Amino acid sequence: MAAQKILITGMGVVSAAGMTIPETLTGFAAGIRNLGQTSVSLSPLNLPVFEVVSPLRGSTRASSRTLQLAFHALDEALSNAGLSYDLSGLRVGVCMGTTVASQLNDMDFYTAYRKSGKAPLAPVETFLKSNLATAISREVKARGPCITVVNACSSSADALGVALGWLRNGFCDVAIAGGADELSRIPVCGFSSLSVFSPEPCRPYDRDRQGLNLGEAAGILILEPESIARRRGVNSTMFVGGYGAACDAHHLTAPRPDGSGLETAIRISLIEAGVQSAEISFVNAHGTATRDNDKVEGTVLARLFGEGIKVISTKGFTGHTLGAAGAIEAVFTALALREGWIPASPGFENKDDEIPIGAVREKSGLTGRYALSTSLAFGGNNAAVVIGRTE
Amino acid sequence: MNIAGIGIVSARGRGVAALEHALEQGWVPPVEVEARGVACGKVSVYPVTADTLGDKVVLAKARRADRFIRMSVLAAADAVQDSGIGASLDKTRMGIILATALGPHVTTFSFLDGILDFGDAAVSPTAFSHSVHNAAASYIAMTLEVRGPTLTVTHFDFAFHQAVLLAQTLLNDGRCDSVLVGAVDELGAVMQSVCGQMLKPAADGRIKPFAFSTTPESVPGEGAAFFLMTRDTAGVGYGLLEVIEDLPVPSSGGSLQILDACGMARDESAYLAAVMPGISVAAYAPLFGSLLIGSALNAAAAALMMKKQKIYVSPVQENPHGLMICQETKPAPLRDVYCTRLDCVGRRLTLHLGSASLLE
Repeated sequence: MAAQKILITGMGVVSAAGMTIPETLTGFAAGIRNLGQTSVSLSPLNLPVFEVVSPLRGSTRASSRTLQLAFHALDEALSNAGLSYDLSGLRVGVCMGTTVASQLNDMDFYTAYRKSGKAPLAPVETFLKSNLATAISREVKARGPCITVVNACSSSADALGVALGWLRNGFCDVAIAGGADELSRIPVCGFSSLSVFSPEPCRPYDRDRQGLNLGEAAGILILEPESIARRRGVNSTMFVGGYGAACDAHHLTAPRPDGSGLETAIRISLIEAGVQSAEISFVNAHGTATRDNDKVEGTVLARLFGEGIKVISTKGFTGHTLGAAGAIEAVFTALALREGWIPASPGFENKDDEIPIGAVREKSGLTGRYALSTSLAFGGNNAAVVIGRTE
Repeated sequence: MNIAGIGIVSARGRGVAALEHALEQGWVPPVEVEARGVACGKVSVYPVTADTLGDKVVLAKARRADRFIRMSVLAAADAVQDSGIGASLDKTRMGIILATALGPHVTTFSFLDGILDFGDAAVSPTAFSHSVHNAAASYIAMTLEVRGPTLTVTHFDFAFHQAVLLAQTLLNDGRCDSVLVGAVDELGAVMQSVCGQMLKPAADGRIKPFAFSTTPESVPGEGAAFFLMTRDTAGVGYGLLEVIEDLPVPSSGGSLQILDACGMARDESAYLAAVMPGISVAAYAPLFGSLLIGSALNAAAAALMMKKQKIYVSPVQENPHGLMICQETKPAPLRDVYCTRLDCVGRRLTLHLGSASLLE
């Protein structure tokens, strides 16, 4: 019996590129890049970041900014899926990816501990209420499996893969999958120490790229098997076709130079989706704009899809949103397939001779039914998600 | 899923032999350490000793790694070694799932020390990269040359249960032929201070799992337990593992229930209703200490019991509710062991270990 499709029946996204899906698409079409400087309260390092500056809808319900971002995206996703916040009647699983929200890295808390010798408990209580998946599960009264994936920059791409596994194994009927991360002083300092920040707007895949910009965002997808969606009277043309993951087992912060881990992840995702590489109409690449990432990733993409493959990195619109990146980029990939176009890849002007492919320079039409979103992470994690459109 | 091998690191040492010795020996007093911000200035804890983490051969690729990573790598490597099938495993078809409640917080705080002491622009890149939750799983992958899916997951109550469920999907879906699934948590100075304030310390150093108290007593601990899972009955035969929500009516003989009550919850009174009728009950948290990922350590004990066909005495016998507590260590034909955990709102998940003979 052929496995039934896992439909995307709802999507929600918030990032510096837009507070909603329509706003994001408008910004993409216009090529708007909402880049600002780090506020002094975040870090004295004077770096450009992609910050969400408009008020968030989830602000009253959430105990952390990451949760606020997640609830904001969840509102849109549930609404699109025709679901309410009371999902107790369904077996709902919640799988979310994050990096910042998983750590008790509250600077005020730790400063107080160092000064007084006593750990203040209020931030600990907040932390214990802020596990991303648990908080969302509690909010929607979910009864299914629940886990937060903390796989660094591939966290939420892996969260989609986890949700896919749950649904295919019948562990839940509907899955809320995605990721969220807020801008925080900790990764600002950490990535700065690794010398991977760009002092200017990032330029993924460009010859003169200087590194990444950080951002904050949340992306949520509502996933359900066709049969469940049909029973709810919901239809969708978008689906998650396949997911692949593989580890480099090479280095903590650098990708394996031959890109074999990423290649394996992509091949698995294509096989799982039952798709040939020629059927992939474009790739929403991880494209951080660091020297290593883009070189390794671009080489692998050229090897698998040929040098003519259309490639975009939406990090030029959002910055690198870490644990949210995989999810928001999966949403963007699905939107592009649905709308039939991809925007110009922001920041890309000159092809790098060391990379066999370049990114798209202008808004381009799409005709295919499948696209790929890739994620590479600290620890050598590689994840690939195939998104499909039924018609 | 078949448990092909186990690896464990705890205050009672490293490896299956140390686990067996701890189960045979029973309760030992915890260690008193200074804790800032606690009224008496001290807390009783079960720390993993530096000697336990001193294996330079297994940790050759983790020389600069922190305790969290070391515990993880050693437990994972031991699980493969214990299985006896390590050489035949296809590492490209092996997955890793590391579950944690609190992550590598000691290194996180060390990184914050760097920011506070030296400024935002002068922090250590090594401390940053090691403070990321998935660094430990990455070190496991590098040490064992595992190239399959490598996932780190968090949950405060059921981290290990959810990881086991995930391992099941990786095997069922054919993504992996084997999965290393485990759980790790460490206990650093800040967390000792937090535990000293938030939890009620066990005055006599004994966790009392059967008190089912609304104000349970704790002795914080740390450790790691990993399980090499396979689809078939490869390895040394610890039995089968699955996650279940509803407890079945147990068969009259050959069943045991292990309660994960360990003093980490604010209220453990709901455990009373989760006790399965008519079968013996045990709890081994008093051996290792109170941990949010304690289920993994109890599951390791259960796996050993299944392999040895032996029940170990429950180390603390206080029994105010008149339960059928395991009172002696003795051979016993075991078919099913149920390790039951409750979260703070009374939601229950159980790890069910079944005899491998069920597959035959």
